[in-house]
Amino acid sequence: MFVRMIAKAFLRQWKKMLMIAFTIALGASLATAMLSVMMDVEDKMNQELKAYGANITVVPKSASVISDLYDVGDENVSGTYLKEDELGKIKTIFWAFNIVDFTPFISTEVTLDNGDKGQVTGTWFNHHMDLPTGEELDAGIASLRSWWTITEGEWLDEQGSHSGDYAMVGTLYAQRENLSVGDKIHVTGSAADKELEVVGIFDAGGDEDDLIYVPVDTAQELGGLEGKIDSIEVSALTTPDNELAVKAARDPSSLSVSQYETWYCTAYVSSICYQIEEVITDSVASAVRQVADSEGQILNKTKLLMILITILSMVGAALGICNLVTASVMERSQEIGLMKAIGAHNPAITALVLAEVMCTAVIGGIAGFYAGIGFAQIIGHSVFDSAISIRPMVVPVVGVLVAIVTLIGSIPAIRMLLNLRPTEVLHGR
Amino acid sequence: MKKRKMYFRMITASLLRRRSRMVIALLAISIGAMILSGLVTIYYDVPRQMGAQFRSYGANMILVSEGDTITQEQVDATREQVPGDKLVGIAAYRYETVRINDRPVMAAAADMEQVRNTSPFWLVEGEWPSREGEIMIGKNLAQTYNLKVGKRTTCTYAPESETEAEEGETEEIVLDNWVDFTVTGILDTGGKEEDYAYMLLSDMEKLTGLPTEYDVCELSISSNSVGLQTIADQISDNVDGISARLVKRVTESEDTVLSKLQSLVLLVTIVVLALTMICVATTMTAVVAERRKEIGLRKALGASNGSIIAEFMGEGVALGAFGGLVGALLGFLFAQAVSRNVFNSSITLMPWLIPVTIIASVLVTGIACLIPIRSATQVDPALVLKGE
Repeated sequence: MFVRMIAKAFLRQWKKMLMIAFTIALGASLATAMLSVMMDVEDKMNQELKAYGANITVVPKSASVISDLYDVGDENVSGTYLKEDELGKIKTIFWAFNIVDFTPFISTEVTLDNGDKGQVTGTWFNHHMDLPTGEELDAGIASLRSWWTITEGEWLDEQGSHSGDYAMVGTLYAQRENLSVGDKIHVTGSAADKELEVVGIFDAGGDEDDLIYVPVDTAQELGGLEGKIDSIEVSALTTPDNELAVKAARDPSSLSVSQYETWYCTAYVSSICYQIEEVITDSVASAVRQVADSEGQILNKTKLLMILITILSMVGAALGICNLVTASVMERSQEIGLMKAIGAHNPAITALVLAEVMCTAVIGGIAGFYAGIGFAQIIGHSVFDSAISIRPMVVPVVGVLVAIVTLIGSIPAIRMLLNLRPTEVLHGR
Repeated sequence: MKKRKMYFRMITASLLRRRSRMVIALLAISIGAMILSGLVTIYYDVPRQMGAQFRSYGANMILVSEGDTITQEQVDATREQVPGDKLVGIAAYRYETVRINDRPVMAAAADMEQVRNTSPFWLVEGEWPSREGEIMIGKNLAQTYNLKVGKRTTCTYAPESETEAEEGETEEIVLDNWVDFTVTGILDTGGKEEDYAYMLLSDMEKLTGLPTEYDVCELSISSNSVGLQTIADQISDNVDGISARLVKRVTESEDTVLSKLQSLVLLVTIVVLALTMICVATTMTAVVAERRKEIGLRKALGASNGSIIAEFMGEGVALGAFGGLVGALLGFLFAQAVSRNVFNSSITLMPWLIPVTIIASVLVTGIACLIPIRSATQVDPALVLKGE
């Protein structure tokens, strides 16, 4: 009988039920979309902030000490280098997945035919790597220096047309030496001399405008530095620092075992630095504070902002659902009055109303959840050009929210219904 | 005259008698209006507030001299070219090679207060130098010289011009200038600043014996790259001997990230608003649909469709206006709370938003009421009264 009554109610009043389901669906979709976006916003903004370039630099241990101690003007006469064949290891650390980009640098002094000195820096432009894990990665300054603008020519394409003796030069250098795309420059390094063809002129808006960039091999041959590199810039997705991270950055050995594990297994910039030092021999990895610090600050603010907006919209959605449930249950006073008049008990009426509303809520909630995922994807694709990943956490949160809100919304209405006097209602007051 | 009085009485009586329903409707409308005004305020304020956060990336403009050095007058003149509320910091640096333990070290002198503003990301262990005789040294230097906070050290400076002048002449001992320093802070930046020593301008004057002239000047201005370029052009035009250049890395990246953030908030606002408004509309529809019987009765008594619609719409508009006003104020409070919590600064009230919110909520309630009323007026009163 109970089931039949509910089924009948749905069939007869499908319009009204549809409206309740619709509102609940709206609320649920709002909650789903906002929760998903909120939980993913940190990752997404982190990717965007990669525009600021590397947040970790790796240099050989004691490089600075030696150049200071022996007062050698030219930085790398001291002979401390990192090994090029260890570069791939960066993608094997615990937080390998968080390393989005990295590129090595090796610089050497050269002399031009007209006697001018210049600095040639060897680096990756769009280096392709097949990692031992089976992954593939394209890394290099084309993505790590997103703020460079190419004023003439194009990016050096290491993989394709420009493998060999090609170079990119900064605007200042190009002006001084009167270079343009297609020109050849003959440079003499300490070990070899080469004819470089200029493929692009870039404007970096900084010191780099005075340099010549070439592929790593070319620079190594010029300087006789086969297999050696000066420094590595790493761009990693990191978690904003907290007290533990600051303490660990000073001295990891001061941590207790459990603290150490928490720190090591969290993507703090200091723990990623530490792990890089573990795999690259004789290296010192340090956080570029300008990037790492600001990143943390902006991420925290963005996340807080989204949390507050989410709370607002959840409250809005909850009250909206509450309201409608109350309004639509109250409307049925006459029907309930009749039931009471023919002898229905209060618990029976409560059960009936609740069962009806909850059935609608389940249908509406499920529909709303999928609609919400759709909204989240619309936001993700139009803002970040990538899909928002839906966390499993969202499902129970939205479920519980819809259930509680619907229940609370029914309470005032049910209380009112229970206090109804059948005669009055039926009389039409 | 009488008719209008009756109209108002009917609306107020209807609102007052059906208190519980009206509270529900009012609540729904105010929530909608609150979300509208709150989110729109945040949307407009985000670029300003976030822009200030992005200043933690440090200087976004540098001044370079067309001559050799930058004078204090030029720095002051530049400061006047930048609107006061946009200028976060202007720090002029003087670089000299000094010697610590007879080894050359690059020393920089600047107004430390301004350096703090332009480079908020510097992590200083200990204190910033604030008095004469205090020095802050980079982390690498500290390691090399084994210096710690609180230790004392001496900087010496060999006046360049004199040594050159005396070349070729009989050797005469020129005494180096020297100043004693206490190390107050160790600087950690992850950049080349770690190889420098930082001191106050007055100490540098004492050390070199030369009046202050700057080598480079950093500015941190909160503005987007277009605004910055305007300011830079203005400085280059109006201050003699100075050209201002943007730090592309900072300005370009800020534009990219900030525009993403703003479009995120915009889309979120649109989605939330659309859903909330539909929610408000369904609630209003439910509240009005309930009164089919009343409408039927009125029709049976001879009321025209027009007068019924006018009365119900009057109610809807009154509710919408009141709910909108309440919601607009609540929304402002919400935006204020967000701003306080997230950015530690208060928000500016946008007066035009209040009428906009009220009009929007009146429109939404009006449309929401109209649909059920129309369907009710089209039905035969006899059927409605019978309850079918």
